[in-house]
Amino acid sequence: MIRHIIQREFFDHLNSLRFALTVIIMAALMVTNAVVHLQSHPDKVRHYSENVAKDRDTLQSRTELYELLRKGPGKLYKQSSALTFIADGGDAFLPNRGTQSWGSWSRTAGFGSQVKSIWSADYPTANPNARDLRPKATKIDWVFIITYLLSFIPLLFTFDALSGERESGTLRLCLANAISRPALLTGKFLGTLIAILIPFYFAVLLNLAVISTDSWTELGAADWGRLGMTLLIASGYTSIFVAIGLMVSAGTRDTRVSLVVLLIIWVALVVFMPSTLGTLSTKWMSPVQTAHQRETAKRSALDQINDDFDKQMMDKAQPQTGGLLSQLMGLAKTSPKEAEKLAKEKQAELMAAMAKAESEKSDEEELRIQAELINKDVEIRERLNREHLRAQLAQVQRARVVTRFSPAAIVQYALESMTGTGLKRHLQFLDSVHLHIRQFRNFITETDRADTESPHIIGIPEGMSKKSISPQALPNFEDKITFSDTFNAAILDMLLLVGLLGVSLLGAFLVFIRSDV
Amino acid sequence: MLHTLIRQELLSLIVSARFLAAVVITLLLAVANTVVLIDAYENRVASYSQQAKVHREKAVAAETYSQLQLFVERPPNPLSLLSTGLEKRLGTTVEIYHGEVPTISSVSARNLENPYLNLFSQIDLVSIFQVVLSLLALLFAYDAIAGDWESGTLRLVISHPVRRGTILFAKYLAAMVCLLLPLLMSLLIVMLQLSLASSIQLGATDFLRIGGIIFTTIVYLSVFYLIGLLISTMTRRTATSLMLCMFLWVVLVLVYPNWSRFTLNPLGDMRAERQSADQQIDQIWEEVDREAQRFLANSPLEGDPPRFNIGYSGSSTSSSRRYGFNMTKVRANSEPSLPHFQNYQAFICATHIRAAEKVGLINEQRWARTTIRQATWDERLMKFSPASLYTFATSAWAGTDLNGMLDFIGVVQAYRQTLIDYLHDKDAFASRRWFASDQGAVDWWDLPQFRFTRADVSENAQRALTDVSLLFVMNLGLFMVSFLIFIRVEV
Repeated sequence: MIRHIIQREFFDHLNSLRFALTVIIMAALMVTNAVVHLQSHPDKVRHYSENVAKDRDTLQSRTELYELLRKGPGKLYKQSSALTFIADGGDAFLPNRGTQSWGSWSRTAGFGSQVKSIWSADYPTANPNARDLRPKATKIDWVFIITYLLSFIPLLFTFDALSGERESGTLRLCLANAISRPALLTGKFLGTLIAILIPFYFAVLLNLAVISTDSWTELGAADWGRLGMTLLIASGYTSIFVAIGLMVSAGTRDTRVSLVVLLIIWVALVVFMPSTLGTLSTKWMSPVQTAHQRETAKRSALDQINDDFDKQMMDKAQPQTGGLLSQLMGLAKTSPKEAEKLAKEKQAELMAAMAKAESEKSDEEELRIQAELINKDVEIRERLNREHLRAQLAQVQRARVVTRFSPAAIVQYALESMTGTGLKRHLQFLDSVHLHIRQFRNFITETDRADTESPHIIGIPEGMSKKSISPQALPNFEDKITFSDTFNAAILDMLLLVGLLGVSLLGAFLVFIRSDV
Repeated sequence: MLHTLIRQELLSLIVSARFLAAVVITLLLAVANTVVLIDAYENRVASYSQQAKVHREKAVAAETYSQLQLFVERPPNPLSLLSTGLEKRLGTTVEIYHGEVPTISSVSARNLENPYLNLFSQIDLVSIFQVVLSLLALLFAYDAIAGDWESGTLRLVISHPVRRGTILFAKYLAAMVCLLLPLLMSLLIVMLQLSLASSIQLGATDFLRIGGIIFTTIVYLSVFYLIGLLISTMTRRTATSLMLCMFLWVVLVLVYPNWSRFTLNPLGDMRAERQSADQQIDQIWEEVDREAQRFLANSPLEGDPPRFNIGYSGSSTSSSRRYGFNMTKVRANSEPSLPHFQNYQAFICATHIRAAEKVGLINEQRWARTTIRQATWDERLMKFSPASLYTFATSAWAGTDLNGMLDFIGVVQAYRQTLIDYLHDKDAFASRRWFASDQGAVDWWDLPQFRFTRADVSENAQRALTDVSLLFVMNLGLFMVSFLIFIRVEV
């Protein structure tokens, strides 16, 4: 019996105007998507491989260990997924590399010698293109097509499914026969779902056919797996809206009322909630530090270690100058004029002491103090940078949790994770960047340890191995997107989607069973 | 007769579920969004005033003229709550100095708190009207004629001595009144919210601009109602009319603007244009370097620029072609070469200003030919959809469109000129205080203040005029066509 209902529903839809319009719009959008992808993707791939090659070349041109430490592991580019046509994931906003150039400094230490800063990880800011004047628009990727159209079209297919039959009286006729209500509902649900998914899958095939002509997009086995999951997610999402449509249609007597209610649910859930809830939720979050606050915090922390360094250096110079220097420094803080006077008086004595210190300088302990300053500087900068980035990303993640009230947002996040774009992927990328930085530093320490002639003081040129390094030995940064990573990232959203589907189906059944015919 | 018809239409629309639902959802969305938008605006105002203070302190802290680091900040526009436009996307800070004429590319956005939040698109009030009310307009219109046709009332009405045009007009007027109600109600509440927020001060001209936005909204909604009416007169069944309306809405509001922006790229690759501009600019700066060499050849100054073996204690900072000195003490043996150094500084600054103006012109052209042209073309193509026309028209009213941003650049450029005039008045470039503070630091008490006022309302109106009139023409055309079809239709 159910099969019969499904068949009837399906053929009814097949002959309708809405079916024809759905086919046209789906096909047009999917083909556009593929064509745009064909135009833009080769550039992206080329840019990435050029950047990576450039990065590797500059890294391998550095043969000395200290130079490596001073200039860092390179920019560490993010590989763009082959499936960006499915989900763009805010490509324009997320940075495409892991690190950016850092502010280097140098300062005097003791008498005449200079210490230079070494590389510390700094993150490029999001939204690199603040000068983009082109009008705002959403990219037409699969996410756009799925979240907007595969929610809108089910409503247009279902708004009169039950209320229309009730109006025309066929519903009563139907139920007068030996058809149970659940069977009728299931039949309608499946018939409509198939009628909607057929144009979608047809359009997807068109899309893939166009994309497969592109030699720049190589889809591996894992990518096909991702594609399959994407289609599954899309089907689940469509079923949710079919169920919602049936639920409202079962609960209303007038098709027009049912349509209006559905459209309003749609506007709220799909158009406004994903963005409004996101920005609304940030209102109750603790704000991220402003640039000014961050700068002050960094300054004070760095001043602290620099003061400590000065003090240590002075303590070391103490024996030679006989306490004169610290006396001068102390005076300079309270009364600069007197300090100047004293310095003039004892100029000869001071110069002699300085010359003596100069001749004895760069003993190992001094080097260690310098190295300590440099390493602490790196540590503080990296800690603050990382804290700031973490605070920013945590805000976005919390906002995303709130937007998951909307199934459109859930699908968007699931597809982004699945295709390897968007925030989740960026987080994974950052993890591998951090891992690489650690490996890079370990490599430097290990290489230095292997050299018996080196004094093993990491951070300054005199304290490190002078042997040249073979470029092959350098740890290589390779950014990869693995299937298990993407699947794990998407699993929560997929479960949510299944839950929502269950709830909406149950709702539809309950409403229909309790409604009068 | 018209009166009766309008009243009857109005009553039947107002008691309908769609009207109620639309009012509720518009109000809800408008109120919730305004809460967010006001909060974000207040943050931006706070950040603006803080930044302005920091910039001021930084500028005044300079002890010599060459050390001056002057930044200006674009104040947030309160009307961006209604129509965001480019307001939040572009940077707000510009550095002013004699050796560079600021263009769009000099604007930086470094004081954004959390740029990652740009992943969520912000929704302004106008976009609520754009989406919800246009949908409502179509819902009012799809059964206006087709529904009456189906139920047979059309025949009944026409049997009265009433002209068909009058029927159409009555339906139109009644629906427009019903569309205006949610619009005005939500705007009223939004205005109330705005007036309660202390940080938002709207001037008299702002209300004129808001009036312009309301007017544009009415014209826009009318376009959508007439589209629905046209479809309704052309079809005999409400079901068909409804489907056509809905799909057309999806295409016009959701699909076409995004589609045209990403698919149509009429300008193609502009890298060559950019490269040639870069080359020209490089040539100009090379010429400057050569001139400097020639000058130095006849000058007793020795050593590498910029220090010329001048012994001093103090500090110097440099970033491409730009040197800031603060010589707190000049050694006695360097004193004789200082007049020559002063001469050189006066010469090099004048050369830099001249070169900067040339570079500025090239840059201006480059931007006009590439990015700005691209943006205008994008806008033109998007304007085939009334929804985009509406967005651009409202942002023109609010002053958050491309022109509004270019206004800011214009004011910044003028301010740079004032700064140069100020420095000339003080004879700063040739003075000892340009690089040395040993004879006292510079007093910045009369440093000209930067002030940015948005363009005049009439200017805004002019910019919005094309789009509004295009919408208007659409209205006329649609009404004419539906009228012609309706009088010929057999009842």
